[in-house]
Amino acid sequence: MTTEPRLVITAWSAVSPYGIGRESFVDGIASSTSTVTELDQDLWQGPTSRGCLVPGFDIREVLGAKGTRKMDRVTALVVSTVGQLLADGGISTGEDTALVLGSTMGSAQSIMDFTKDVLVRELPYLVDPAKMPNSVMNCAAGACAIWHGLKGPNTTLAGGQAAGLMALDYARRLLIHDRAAKVLVGAAEEYSTERAWLDRHSWPAETPDRVLGEGCAVLLVETADQAALTGGRTPLAEVLATESRVYLEGDPTKVLIACVQSVLARAGVRADEVWAAVPSSVGDRGRLESGVVRSLFGAEVVDRVPTGDVLGDTGAASAALRIAAVLSVAEHSPEAAGRVALVTSADRYGTVACSLLRLADPASS
Amino acid sequence: MVLTGLGVVSSIGFGPQEFAAGLRAGRSGARPISVFDTTGFEYANGCEVVGFDPTEWLRVTDPADLGRASQFSVAAARMAVRDAGLEESELAGKRGLVSVGTTDGEAVDLEALLETSLNSGSAAMDGQTARRVPATMLSLAIARELGLSNVSAYTIATACSAGNYAIGDGFDAVRSGEVEFALCGGADAMCRKTFAGFYRLGTIAPDCCRPFDADRKGILTGEGAGLLVLESLDSARARGARIYAEVLGYGLNCDAYHQVAPNQESIQRCMRLALEDAGVKPHEVDLISAHGTGTQANDVTETRAIRGLYGDQPPRTISVKSMLGHTMGAASALGAIACALAITHGFIPPTINHRSSDPECEIDCVPNESIEADLRVVQNNGLAFGGNNASLILGKYSEKELVS
Repeated sequence: MTTEPRLVITAWSAVSPYGIGRESFVDGIASSTSTVTELDQDLWQGPTSRGCLVPGFDIREVLGAKGTRKMDRVTALVVSTVGQLLADGGISTGEDTALVLGSTMGSAQSIMDFTKDVLVRELPYLVDPAKMPNSVMNCAAGACAIWHGLKGPNTTLAGGQAAGLMALDYARRLLIHDRAAKVLVGAAEEYSTERAWLDRHSWPAETPDRVLGEGCAVLLVETADQAALTGGRTPLAEVLATESRVYLEGDPTKVLIACVQSVLARAGVRADEVWAAVPSSVGDRGRLESGVVRSLFGAEVVDRVPTGDVLGDTGAASAALRIAAVLSVAEHSPEAAGRVALVTSADRYGTVACSLLRLADPASS
Repeated sequence: MVLTGLGVVSSIGFGPQEFAAGLRAGRSGARPISVFDTTGFEYANGCEVVGFDPTEWLRVTDPADLGRASQFSVAAARMAVRDAGLEESELAGKRGLVSVGTTDGEAVDLEALLETSLNSGSAAMDGQTARRVPATMLSLAIARELGLSNVSAYTIATACSAGNYAIGDGFDAVRSGEVEFALCGGADAMCRKTFAGFYRLGTIAPDCCRPFDADRKGILTGEGAGLLVLESLDSARARGARIYAEVLGYGLNCDAYHQVAPNQESIQRCMRLALEDAGVKPHEVDLISAHGTGTQANDVTETRAIRGLYGDQPPRTISVKSMLGHTMGAASALGAIACALAITHGFIPPTINHRSSDPECEIDCVPNESIEADLRVVQNNGLAFGGNNASLILGKYSEKELVS
């Protein structure tokens, strides 16, 4: 095994219940205010009246009328987040630019809306052909490629709550095998009525304080050498190690601990060097995960970065948004320079994943 | 990196032996669709998996906890591991990657939930069915059934090229040494919404799928799963494993052009990336297993892309979709398995249902009858909605060519 090139995050953006774009996210995380709102019952006829939605996210207002007529919400979240990232950094795209997107299943709403025509129209094939792509899980990634000219590998990973971390590890393989010069790595989840119903029926015993959220976070990941070549892009963090595993029984604790220890060992980082540890803390499973991480690293380390619960249960977007939260806090914390942050995720379906980042030290660069 | 185990659930047979025999015989999986209600469609043939009993393959999971695609996925994985001569307990001690490509995941279950919702209200949806839906289950079910905890379990949802995506990622993961084995491929179960969508687009054939034929009328939807065991040559030799083929490389790209329409230039670039990655020159390729859906647009565009890269004398170019239908996320995985079997057993599977060649598709599609051939390098194409192209290159493994 040859030495792998160092991978760095050089840009990021997010669209979340804190608003559209990086700045609103940084400010929102700094304030840590709750984003739970009462939903408009005319628009959202789900099982509950509360949610954490991107405020004012009207697709045509955000992206314009052109090319958005058939666009669904999750696609618009991804297209606008990537658009923010590219515009912020003046980043060019093309054949060398990959997109790796974590998702639960694309848009459950789109799939069910499309299927509804099969069931209710007088003839079962009177579906809307222009909406057929929306019923396929790679719709958002494909549409984002068209919108932003991303001609490199274009991968959608259906990974549940750990999807963002799995996407980061997949992107690492693309980069070290030279399949792209830079990779937009992210994950997205929309709020929708159908998602809310599926969630309610899947986890009926879940404590009622869990509110569904939505959002998208995207990171630009490239090799340190490539970032240096481009001149203008300063690394914000180095990706030291990422790993995912599967827990086979109901409780993820043992596998989560093994996964954390494995990334620490691979990165050559001691547990006491971890400055911030950011587990999910949403719902019963999040509380369990959070408890495990707290027992490993202590309250001070876990409390440094607000965990995902301020945004609600953002599903597949959750871990990616927490990486964005780490980067947000680091921006305002001089003591974070050069320190190590750990992001973990224990998905309800069986995946455990974690990623170790070293925050950039502007003084040493 | 070599392929040492193959698992197949298909409309023309289960397991590599039956599948190879079906490919050689040019068996058709087409039949009237029975897995969903076809009332209202003027015609409804498809390539269904018949006689599949999930209880034969599941040991720890209640079949009712898994959707049909996940059941196919587990069955094919278990077959592939067995075919590789590996004990599941042996695999559990190794770091691995499980990666399953899919187009529709468990859309069959989503449709059932929707039906409940329309008839009785959303509050009446069934919880067990809802928990089967997330596509991550297609790979997690394999890990759980085979008792693999120290694996990354990925479900790759890049639609109809997803099988090749999964195999490619397995290749990279094994190549860099980060895993000792990869269990990768694709799975899909036939669903009505995809059938209706293609039907609406006028791309479902009334009788059978005739790729590259002047009278082709489109696809038949199909279902199944193909899973492959990938490991390093050292690992395979150390345990004396049978080697079907070497994985030489692959290419991925995105059209960034249109969600549905294929793009010739971009497909050509994808195939070129694959050849470059494999270190293979176009004239060294003996066979192309095309995406070959049997639609007007795909077959003309793909053929032109092939001729654009390979010139006026392209390798023989077949479509196993003529036999299997379009198995969506499983398609390029089953295509890759067909290629590995063709290399191992020295034959070219035919493109069946062929009557008259389309002059717009200037390739030799090996019509109707398989032929004997010594295949050294084979290319397997997967194209998809979203412009997600993936092309895989397999080579014959030959002991004497090893540089020790």
